[in-house]
Amino acid sequence: MEQHLGSVCECILSLSTNDKRLNLRALASARSLIINSSTSDSTISALFETLTRFLQLTTEPRALHHTLKLLSDIAFHHSRLSGLVFHSVRSYLLRSDSTRLSAESLAVLSSIAEHDRSLASAMDELDDRFFVSLCFGPSVSVRSWFLSNAFRFPIRPYVLLTVMLGFTKDPYPYVRRVALDGLVGLSKSSVIEDCGVIEGCYCRAVELLGDAEDSVRCAAVHAWDAREGVLPYHMGDLWSRTLLMGFLCIVNPGKHHPQPHISLMVGLPLPVILSQYGCHPPIMKVAAFDALGKIGVVSEDILLQTLSKRVLGITKEKKPLGQCSAKRKSLGQYIPKHFDIQACVAAGAFVHGLEDEFYEVRWSACHSLHTLTILSAKFAGEALNLLMDVLNDDSLNVRLRALETMHHMATCDHLKVQETHMHMFLGTLVDNSTFIRSTARKILRLMKLHDLKMFQSSIDGLLENLEVYPQDEADILSVLFDIGRNHGNFVVCIIKKFSQEIEPSCEGRLDFDSVRVAALLVLAISAPLSEAQKVCSIPSRIFSYAVTLLGRISHALKDVMNQNTLLAYLSHCSKSTIVDNSESFFPMIEGDIPNCSCIDMISPAGMSLQQGASENENQKRLEPRKSATPLLDCQLEVYSEVAKSIKLILLKINDIWFLVQKGCMAEVLRMLRSFREELATYMSDSLVSADTLAFTFQYLRVVKLLAKVQGLSKEEELHVLELILVTCILRLSKVEICCHNATLKKLSMIISHAEFLHKEGSIEPYNFVVELKKSLGEIDTYNDGASCRPFLLKRLLESFSLKQFRLSGSPKHIKAEIDLPGNDTEPLPFISGLPVGIPLEITLYNVSSENRLWLRMIVHEQLMEFVFLDLNQSGGCDEVRKFTFMAPFYRTPKAMSLTLRVCIGMECLFEDVNLITDCGGPTRELVYICQEKEVYLGMISKT
Amino acid sequence: MAIECLVLGAGQEVGKSCAVVTINGKRIMFDCGMHMGYLDHRRFPDFSLISKSADFNTAIDCIVITHFHLDHVGALPYFTEVCGYSGPIYMTYPTKALSPLMLEDYRKVMVDRRGEQELFSNDDIMKCMKKVIAVDLKQTVQVDKDLQIRAYYAGHVLGAAMFYAKVGDAAMVYTGDYNMTPDRHLGAAQIDRLQLDLLITESTYATTVRDSKYAREREFLKAVHKCVADGGKVLIPTFALGRAQELCILLDNYWERMNLKVPIYFSAGLTIQANMYYKMLISWTNQRVKETYATHNAFDFKNVRSFDRSLINAPGPCVLFATPGMISGGFSLEVFKLWAPSEMNLVTLPGYCLAGTIGHKLTTGKPTKIDLDKDIQISVRCQIHQLSFSPHTDAKGIMDLVKFLSPKHVILVHGEKPKMASLKGKIESDLGIQCYYPANNDTVCIPSTCWLKADTSKTFIRSSLNPNFKFVKTISEDKSNLVSKETEATSVLQVHDERVAEGILIVEKSKKAKVVHQNELLLMIGKDKHDVQFAYCCPVQIGNLERTKGMDFALSKNVVSTSDECSWLHLLFAKLATKLGGNIQDFGQHLQVDSIHISVCLKDICPYRTTDGPQKEPAVFFCCTWSVADVNLAWEIISIMENLDLSII
Repeated sequence: MEQHLGSVCECILSLSTNDKRLNLRALASARSLIINSSTSDSTISALFETLTRFLQLTTEPRALHHTLKLLSDIAFHHSRLSGLVFHSVRSYLLRSDSTRLSAESLAVLSSIAEHDRSLASAMDELDDRFFVSLCFGPSVSVRSWFLSNAFRFPIRPYVLLTVMLGFTKDPYPYVRRVALDGLVGLSKSSVIEDCGVIEGCYCRAVELLGDAEDSVRCAAVHAWDAREGVLPYHMGDLWSRTLLMGFLCIVNPGKHHPQPHISLMVGLPLPVILSQYGCHPPIMKVAAFDALGKIGVVSEDILLQTLSKRVLGITKEKKPLGQCSAKRKSLGQYIPKHFDIQACVAAGAFVHGLEDEFYEVRWSACHSLHTLTILSAKFAGEALNLLMDVLNDDSLNVRLRALETMHHMATCDHLKVQETHMHMFLGTLVDNSTFIRSTARKILRLMKLHDLKMFQSSIDGLLENLEVYPQDEADILSVLFDIGRNHGNFVVCIIKKFSQEIEPSCEGRLDFDSVRVAALLVLAISAPLSEAQKVCSIPSRIFSYAVTLLGRISHALKDVMNQNTLLAYLSHCSKSTIVDNSESFFPMIEGDIPNCSCIDMISPAGMSLQQGASENENQKRLEPRKSATPLLDCQLEVYSEVAKSIKLILLKINDIWFLVQKGCMAEVLRMLRSFREELATYMSDSLVSADTLAFTFQYLRVVKLLAKVQGLSKEEELHVLELILVTCILRLSKVEICCHNATLKKLSMIISHAEFLHKEGSIEPYNFVVELKKSLGEIDTYNDGASCRPFLLKRLLESFSLKQFRLSGSPKHIKAEIDLPGNDTEPLPFISGLPVGIPLEITLYNVSSENRLWLRMIVHEQLMEFVFLDLNQSGGCDEVRKFTFMAPFYRTPKAMSLTLRVCIGMECLFEDVNLITDCGGPTRELVYICQEKEVYLGMISKT
Repeated sequence: MAIECLVLGAGQEVGKSCAVVTINGKRIMFDCGMHMGYLDHRRFPDFSLISKSADFNTAIDCIVITHFHLDHVGALPYFTEVCGYSGPIYMTYPTKALSPLMLEDYRKVMVDRRGEQELFSNDDIMKCMKKVIAVDLKQTVQVDKDLQIRAYYAGHVLGAAMFYAKVGDAAMVYTGDYNMTPDRHLGAAQIDRLQLDLLITESTYATTVRDSKYAREREFLKAVHKCVADGGKVLIPTFALGRAQELCILLDNYWERMNLKVPIYFSAGLTIQANMYYKMLISWTNQRVKETYATHNAFDFKNVRSFDRSLINAPGPCVLFATPGMISGGFSLEVFKLWAPSEMNLVTLPGYCLAGTIGHKLTTGKPTKIDLDKDIQISVRCQIHQLSFSPHTDAKGIMDLVKFLSPKHVILVHGEKPKMASLKGKIESDLGIQCYYPANNDTVCIPSTCWLKADTSKTFIRSSLNPNFKFVKTISEDKSNLVSKETEATSVLQVHDERVAEGILIVEKSKKAKVVHQNELLLMIGKDKHDVQFAYCCPVQIGNLERTKGMDFALSKNVVSTSDECSWLHLLFAKLATKLGGNIQDFGQHLQVDSIHISVCLKDICPYRTTDGPQKEPAVFFCCTWSVADVNLAWEIISIMENLDLSII
């Protein structure tokens, strides 16, 4: 090959002089010489010189293009020459008069400079004017290339901002989009402080929300997400307002008017894509509604206007909701007037959204109501009218979302159900979807019923639900109990009506096997607990009847009281129906209920908004909670319901993998986040299923980080092992991996462990594991960094598909707690240099004696000790072990006081990789199963 | 060129839609409907206005039918078979399929039941339909070499379409009836953003803004559910097409959700046939129906059975859809007679009922007895529920569409006169679009667009491609009608990039018009560049300078001698500099501000000197010249100079 060098060089040089046709063959030979690692240095140098000379001689653009490409190849494959290449290209760049070629050489220069930091300063010598002149040339492709790569060049932010802002007006949509993206990127760096300029940028972004081009509008909507945490407070406010206006434009048909750019009319070759009326891709509308839901600052008038198609006569009051007014004043009422949203733009936005043809849009509209109803009770009241209608939607998802929004309103005490709503709402109690029914009941628990008629119809609805779907019995009984407690007076009236049904018939037969009677009895026995009903007029014999259904009732009320308590309560009431609330019937639950009545009702978004709300509003929101005892509110969630939701989540996670493969990471992360939020609400609701919840949390984390979890059945363990394998492969596929030997070792070990499990449990091995095993040898051979490995790994990853995770049985959450009573106030005494014993109170959950646990004690990175925890010496069973352990810490340093961080870790049995070898610790990797505890030690003073 | 719109029907009324539009010489008839309220000649449009000679084939280039309702298609067989039009007729596929059903049904009712003389026969309908050319949505049809039409989805009923028509550069849209919100089985109207000269839109609800239809659906379901739950029978008299399917989807879904087992019946006949068409024409329905289509055809009603006459008196609850609507006779009347006396039963009337029908009597007031004819009287004890589901868009929808399309002119048809007047006002004031609502047989003439094609020069294109943005602080006025009317000026940084504004349009004799860059102009027309210079010889008072100052100025005939010119100029410079700041420069022989050039005038008679009236005061003359760009500044300086007195220091 190399012997042809001379001819190759000649060929290249001849390009400049000879005919215009490019000698592609010579170029190809030159390139193969360059990228071949065995080509001798002298050849490369010769080539480099030829090319450099050629660069000076020729003016033919195509030839120059190829030359630049070859030079950049040289720079990347032969780093010793990169400096020389850099300078020769740079000198070319300075005299080039073609925009396109200048851009190309600039691209070469910047990528060389990015690899070789020492050349970066040479880049800095090029001034702003030079860079900017590139995008002012007529070449549109160079312009958009430059704008999207502008951050790679040393340009002053102000210049860049001006250029970006200017190009948002470009006739080419792609340039507009890139420029807008650039502006967003620039706003992140927060170098621009001039309010006027920022304001101009935002105005422009909002204008672009009405752009004729979909991609530009999308970029504008997404710009919104980028603004969080970037803008100074008042700008955030401003941004919200302007964006609100823009979003409403998208949501509302016919409201935005991008004027066709004037250049379209003179026949410039611009693509004309007209968006269709009413047929925006729903993705735009969905994004706009999602964004609407996030807007924290908006005036009540506008909100109300979004619910009415008629333009309302609106008062002058413009105080936005949801932000702290004191803070606002301090910033001097910054908002310029022209940002006030026009009422006619807002008119009926939600009406249209909830009526949209695409269920995604309707769902999203319901969802954004969710957060907005926190802001204003009046708005919530109006929105409820619409939401009640949505209960008749033909998409289950949308109906469910509407109910969830109502539930949310109820928790914020913004749910004001009226008589007219009752038919539709109670209809959901006999819906054939379990989710709908259970969500409806959840709302009913919190709902305040103003008159007897509504109360009666609610009870009728629940009884109908019970008749049609007997499987809901437990939940219905518990709901009845709650409603009864909240509306004691009504219960008394109702029970009088129903007493015939409850009382034994004239033949002396009690109809106690009917669920209906059970339901009425539960309702009756709840009355004495009502605050409104101090002297209860429920006949005491009813409580005796209830005793006959003790098992059934106590099963339903297991979250509120256990059987013994119930019995005690019933027998008490059958003697006297006056219940003193101070007399506790709920000894079992008291004490370990977190005070969570307010936590579950406010989402993170709400939290921040609530902080800003006026104090009055705050109090109002919290006060009504007092009437319903926190006890009940915490216990409302029934185990089965949570379990269903969790199953649902696990089911959904399954679908995510497809998205991961497609590369929609933002979407995946968003979904996982929403699952987590959902789980978090259960967390505060329920104590029963804490283990399951903890597991699911962990699982989510696994999917998100592809991390580790233990304590599972064989199938489950295999599932997780598979995920770990994927992690290993991912780790291997990264080029900059440094410890692939260890990873490979781990990989083969896990595979063998998986195989073992397969054999033991006679489970069909997963396709991915089989594939991986086959390729293991191949991976090994390539482990010295050769080039074809990525393809192999990529193929392997493609063969992986996330399987449906089935939760068989209930998983055990392995965890530990460490406590050291009194240490917070009084440090443990120690003498420097001598060992000290730390009396730790350790509680272990679900740890079997086979597990090897280690206590890790750290003062700092260099001072770390491990102590083995011998479980055989501790008492208790596998589920819960509680014992005190005197942990010895030997190497006490010379210090007056020190803080020791103590933590319990468990050895991973199948990860036999020696990671920690010194200080006599564990030989395998540890999984830490408890919160780190800080222990304070103080030197004994000599006095 | 102009567009002429002759409204033959639905002008200031609802009924017999028919508009004949002439665009650039091409004549299109949009819709050919009949008026259901008349039985005389007013029933059909007055076709004689189209052509006195009754030669319709040459008078009209094509007919476009928007949908199958009789007030839009009813007169078509008459026009083609009786009047003899044989040119092309365009309608969508579903309209072509369903129109004969409607026409035949109407003909039967008219001839068989009422014994009227038939206006067209079944044969006529069939022959007429053979002439119809079916079109698809968004399919551009070239009617002839100049005329293009295109259909857009309109909602309203299955197969309803808006039609776009274009001849040369003039373009228009005729909407027919349309709906801007989706319903249970149809989607919302969809149209592209088009450049239009004229939009002819229906205006049934010209002033009504309707709330969400969901609330009315809720009421309907509540009433029906309550009735059947109490063991009653529900009669829903309805037209066979559209409403029946919509309500049925609604009920079927509800039944499904609520696990209701009460039977829903469809009276046999037209409805069954119509359902079959609906099942086939899924692609014309809304997104929801289309989405579920793969698993379940929404028109395969799970709970619907066909009705048998013997079931009328069967015990137990049921829901029955029966034709015709408005209980004007036929099967629905038969059932009504039997069910009306029981208070357990319910009659639901979906929509508008013509005066004189039983439906109308039921909805106005609460009659306890209805006289069917002289002998028969029905006692009405059942519950009556009226539903107003209208597949027409509301006022907001019309405004939205007009705003979206932003045509140059709007003509309102298919509405009530006073309401149309109010909508016209709104369109003109809010949107600034000229609007008309002609009465029947009136003609509206509007100018049409004519585009002139122009070449462009390369330099011009290049200059257009080069970015040319400016940042301007504009003072914008707060026009928000949300807040108070007081306006407050605020400045906003705005970006401008109007690249093509600097071209020059040249139209040379017998040549195509051309847009060129301003630099090219002179070269193109082969002329030299001429600069227009303004000049004015301005007198400046010098008072009695030698007396007051005792300086040695030689004055003769009030004119300054050469030797003093520099001193005068210098003096002027000093004076102007204090007024104008640093802009002014002294070049010794002249002063200069931008292009304004000031020098002492030594001529006795200067052509730029205005010599009206004798010079009262002694003055020095300064000749000022300037170019166009500085006109304002120049006059400002001159007015300063004229009021100066160089003697006062």
